[in-house]
Amino acid sequence: MVAPIVSRRAILMGTLTLLPCVAEGAPSAAAPIRVGLTPVFLSSDLELTGLLAAYLEKATARPVELVTRRTYQEVTAMLVAGQLDAAWICGFPFVAHRSELQLVATPVWRGQPLYRAYVIVDRDRKAGGIAALRGDIHAFSDPDSNSGFLCTRAALAELGERSETFFSRSFFTYGHRNVIEAVSSGLAASGSVDGYVYDVVSELEPKFVSRTRVLRTSEWLGFPPVAAPASPPDAGRLNALKAALLGMDGDADGRAVLALLKLDRFASEPLGLYETIAAKAAMVAAAG
Amino acid sequence: MRLDPRRWPITFKVPVAVAILMLVAGAVLSERVLDRLGDIQQRHLRELAQGYLDGLSSAVGPSVLRDDVWEVYDAIARAQVQYKGLRPSEAVVTDPRGAVIAASDPRSHAVGSAFVPTESRPFAYESGSATARAHRELSYPGRSIGHLYATFDTSHLAAERRDVIATLLVTNGILLAFFVAAGWLLVARMMRPVRVLTEHLGASSDGVAVPIADWEVQRSRGEFRRMFRAYNDLSTSIAERDELRKRLAEEERLGSLGRLASSIAHEINNPLGGLFNALSTLRSHGHLPAAREGAICLLERGLAGIRDVVRTTLAVHRPREGARNLMPDDFDDLLVLVAAEARRKSVRVKVTARLAAEVAIQSGPIRQALLNILLNAIAAAPAVSVVELAVVGMPEAVTFEVRDRGEGLPVDAAAMLTDPARIPTAGAGLGLWTTRGLVAEIGGVLETESLPGGGTLVRMVVPLARDEALADVA
Repeated sequence: MVAPIVSRRAILMGTLTLLPCVAEGAPSAAAPIRVGLTPVFLSSDLELTGLLAAYLEKATARPVELVTRRTYQEVTAMLVAGQLDAAWICGFPFVAHRSELQLVATPVWRGQPLYRAYVIVDRDRKAGGIAALRGDIHAFSDPDSNSGFLCTRAALAELGERSETFFSRSFFTYGHRNVIEAVSSGLAASGSVDGYVYDVVSELEPKFVSRTRVLRTSEWLGFPPVAAPASPPDAGRLNALKAALLGMDGDADGRAVLALLKLDRFASEPLGLYETIAAKAAMVAAAG
Repeated sequence: MRLDPRRWPITFKVPVAVAILMLVAGAVLSERVLDRLGDIQQRHLRELAQGYLDGLSSAVGPSVLRDDVWEVYDAIARAQVQYKGLRPSEAVVTDPRGAVIAASDPRSHAVGSAFVPTESRPFAYESGSATARAHRELSYPGRSIGHLYATFDTSHLAAERRDVIATLLVTNGILLAFFVAAGWLLVARMMRPVRVLTEHLGASSDGVAVPIADWEVQRSRGEFRRMFRAYNDLSTSIAERDELRKRLAEEERLGSLGRLASSIAHEINNPLGGLFNALSTLRSHGHLPAAREGAICLLERGLAGIRDVVRTTLAVHRPREGARNLMPDDFDDLLVLVAAEARRKSVRVKVTARLAAEVAIQSGPIRQALLNILLNAIAAAPAVSVVELAVVGMPEAVTFEVRDRGEGLPVDAAAMLTDPARIPTAGAGLGLWTTRGLVAEIGGVLETESLPGGGTLVRMVVPLARDEALADVA
């Protein structure tokens, strides 16, 4: 059902951008740039996706299709399979599929391309460290999430524990907001959540996080990047997208999107930024 | 009056009956209304609950199958908002063994904890209660994969029910007050002629039947007017009869006065011959001391006899105002009065028991009554028999008994003496009737007895006037 709308929009956009396109010699009815979004976002905010799509279409002069799926895994699979030009994914799938992906841009948050993973518990809970969470019902965000799964497993591995036996039970909420809600409501006694999401939500909606507190923060880690297949389906589209992302802070509409995301800008960062995550993945894999 | 409902006035009874009927009718109607309201609420709630269970069970089904805690919780949370009008207060989804997969309030029903349902029926709601419960078995596809228990807040339905009850109570109360007041007014208005009649009849028990005023008769209608007229006719005839009776009594009094006068004349006449003889003896033989002395003595005795008769007559018929207590001497006077009649019939009057001292009883009525009874007894007594008079004083009353040896008092005459309802016919029994009246006036009663071997005993018992010392009684 989405396809016809997109194609209509593609035609419309193509028509609107006809003159500059002709001037630049670009194809007038170009295939849309397909960008995958993972639930790393604060929420499936229609305003945000609308603004982002509008900015990217303006900046790339091409139709842009934003693709969202319930799990990281689905988006990652589509990306690796070359069905998407690029996707905003988590650091963990990026390092897991390192050989098949290339780095396009990394968001900069509070001046750094870094973020942390949090373990949160009920506000009134006395627990002092992750070791006190033994026997909990634990809410993970997504099995392909660094902050919402890998980090906590790595922290347990350091203690010689495995999450399957350490927690009495765990489940995935497939969204960082959902983890916060699960802990707030008491559905889970503790949860693994993206520190960026938690901080921004507590800034925008203090009541939503008021029943929780951060029990443990991880070290600073590479911010979830925008990645593309190592061999992109269309280099032109990818380059246009990369330029649009990196130039986002230089455009008013782009800044509006960044403001909604509470990000500074997108930057080109070295691959080494994700080494820590790769190390955690290796440790967890070794621990079984 | 207060305790026995049969003695309540009708103006009170009818409103009470109306109130009781209204209460019963109100209670029955209210019960029906509440019953119907309960049915409607229950049906409405059941339908809404079915919709809720349908929606939620299809939403959580696949997630339950995957044991996806978050999705089940999320579906429950969304349903809580979506079905706000139904006011779901709690929803719990368990696996087939009863372990909680997710609940609307995870803090009271933790994931994995055992859930013990308080109600396993598909739907349970009691009218007026604050909660309703529903249960649905989750099956997917075709096999049981868990249970869905829902609780709904029905306090608004209970409040609605309370409102209806309050409305019913107020409405019934107002209607009740209105009908009771209307009943009272109506009955009071309808009963007014009866009250008028009752008041007049009550007044007539004092001896005077007062006719109902003309304006009252004019104001009434139908049967009450007829009743008033009939009463007025009755009252007139009673008045006429009373008048007649008074006239008869007066005539009797005059009649007995005549008889008495003739007996006195006879009594005075008797010695007159002797007195004239004595006078002529004095005239012709007055110069003879012996003859003169004898004639003077005769004159003296004869005049003394006449004086006694006159004095006694005066004493017996002394006006009432000079009422005094009964004295032993009164009986001597009576003997003097009846002496002439007794002598004429050759009957001896004998006093077998006498009063020893003065007693607190009016002497006038007693003397008249006893005189009548004695004269009757003498009249009934055969020649050369004895009529006995006995007076016995007791602490609270004095008994007078007159016995004769005659053929006995006829039943009619005895009834005239003792039965207050008997009224004398013209010319017959007036003396006895007057006697009864005299005795009744001073609170006494009369009895008659037939004596063995013939004869009659008339007993008159007269109570002593109050506040008299016992010492006054013989």
